[in-house]
Amino acid sequence: MSDTRPTGDQGLTTYRDVQVSPDFSELRRRFRRFVFPMTGLFLVWYFLYVLLADYAHDFMSQKVGGNITVALLFGLGQFVSTFAITMIYVRWADRRLDADADRMRRLIEGEHE
Amino acid sequence: MSPATSLTAIGLVIVATIGIGLFGLRISRTTSDFYVASRAVTPRWNASAISGEYLSAASFLGVAGLVLMNGADMLWFSVGYTAGYLMLLVLVAAPLRRSGAYTLPDFAETRFESAVVRRICSGLVVGIGTLYLLPQLHGAGLTLQTVTGAPPDVGAAMVAVIVVINVAAGGMRSITFVQAFQYWLKLTALAAPIFVILISWRSADHPVGLLASLQGAGAEWAEPLSRAGGRDHPLYATYSLLLALCFGTMGLPHVLVRFYTNPDGRAARRTTVVVLALLGTFYLFPPMYAVLGRSFAPDLVGHGADTVVLELPGRIFPGTAGDLLGALVAAGAFAAFLSTSSGLTVAIAGVIDQDLLRSRLHRWTGGDYVAVNSFRIAALLSMTVPYLAFLLTGSLSLADTVGLAFAVAASTFCPLLVLGIWWRRMSTTGAAAGLIVGGIAASAAALVNVIGGPDGGWPRALVGQPAAWTMPLAFLAVIVVSKLTPDKIPAGTALSMVRLHTPEAVDVDRGLPYRSS
Repeated sequence: MSDTRPTGDQGLTTYRDVQVSPDFSELRRRFRRFVFPMTGLFLVWYFLYVLLADYAHDFMSQKVGGNITVALLFGLGQFVSTFAITMIYVRWADRRLDADADRMRRLIEGEHE
Repeated sequence: MSPATSLTAIGLVIVATIGIGLFGLRISRTTSDFYVASRAVTPRWNASAISGEYLSAASFLGVAGLVLMNGADMLWFSVGYTAGYLMLLVLVAAPLRRSGAYTLPDFAETRFESAVVRRICSGLVVGIGTLYLLPQLHGAGLTLQTVTGAPPDVGAAMVAVIVVINVAAGGMRSITFVQAFQYWLKLTALAAPIFVILISWRSADHPVGLLASLQGAGAEWAEPLSRAGGRDHPLYATYSLLLALCFGTMGLPHVLVRFYTNPDGRAARRTTVVVLALLGTFYLFPPMYAVLGRSFAPDLVGHGADTVVLELPGRIFPGTAGDLLGALVAAGAFAAFLSTSSGLTVAIAGVIDQDLLRSRLHRWTGGDYVAVNSFRIAALLSMTVPYLAFLLTGSLSLADTVGLAFAVAASTFCPLLVLGIWWRRMSTTGAAAGLIVGGIAASAAALVNVIGGPDGGWPRALVGQPAAWTMPLAFLAVIVVSKLTPDKIPAGTALSMVRLHTPEAVDVDRGLPYRSS
């Protein structure tokens, strides 16, 4: 971090401007509304997966071909799904978060000028 | 297994590690140089470095051992180790980087304006790091014992000494490229024997009895939640393990700092995607060792399961081929101990140096000391405690012990970070309460486990996988105590929130010029 600007009244005012700006609250809210349900869903998905493996026993031990069972594919699928969730998050963050950052920058730098 | 080949391979890994460490000393860099320089590193290199530092004795030897012994449920270890990075990225990575704090105690101090909270965090970093180093030393002892028959103390002492010298000399700390190389070495060492086995079986007859071991009497081993290996309450244990691994990664001292080497949020996200791919690829292999081990090394199931990765090549290919593959695996294992231990020791030594040692040395010597020496003494101290713990503990399951370090992190730093970043009514007293309650509960469970816990039933399940109760307990402590002490909400909370949540691209004053170095 190279933020070594001295803290002065000017800086504090900027802070407060950001703090009370509706864009900042909106940014935080949007982030929260995406991140927490996402984390929850992800965990629920894992927990269901564990249960499914147990209850859907016959289904899981079906052979797909050779010695490859449904369970084996499901196991590998767990990595695939972790990856998929990450990609969804990354796409969302690239599209929305970065756009919001640009908007806030224009807003704040506009105020300075 | 011929010791000479394996020892040569291990020796090569050690020489390379020390050599590059000394080279690192020559071009010695300061902490800030490290971060600045690393910002030129591409996400792909950075991700290799993160994975290289992360894959420890637990991943290299322990996961295969646990699966061999306890069956399919243990596969969740590898999924959880990987998923932790997603949680880290989504919940805390970006705000933490914006905070300007390089370490967890730094974050705690700026966010809660309290030296006490900082000190508790420092103690926890040392505790979690020690718990994580302990299985690395056990892994080293076990590997050298398997390869040469030397007593476990020898291998552990070797790794301890090399890591301390290397860290004290200033090596490892700065070199992204060494850690990146370590990842590819570990992947190669683990994957090559499997590929050789598969190729040789394609050209010859399929070995008799390979998959027979998965049917019949041993069939429950391959089934989920089967209680194979005598672990009771598998559903609770699996859920608790998942919580610990998913939410513990963000609180590991050597993991977080690596995320600072990303220039911005976009690069951090790219890096995480690559990390998940690299870790996912790596974790395909330990279960294969476990499955093969059921057929070719069934004697290891009861005792010495953690050595299955080392033993297997020699059992399948007696002779030179087995020796060479065995040597490769042993070298990969040492790479795992050295890279993870170095990363941990740097993180622990940094905290001991900054928070415990430097001011005291200053007082004792009347200011007549050199800062670098303080860090070197700290490096020695950070390895001494785990080594003493190693001498005091009998054999322990590598991956289980590392899992406990995750559980302590998930019960302390996870609430501190998640609530500290998102909840503006969190008070300083609440933060301290959460750390103390979660820390004591989870560390007590970990301690009981390492010493030798209850044999079965609920006591063993609750103590063996504590995160499912210690983590909610810590969150609850933070929330309840914060509600009771609204006057202890840090005065600068509003400012902190702006600093944490305003995207990097926005040029606002982020407050205190934090670090001088």
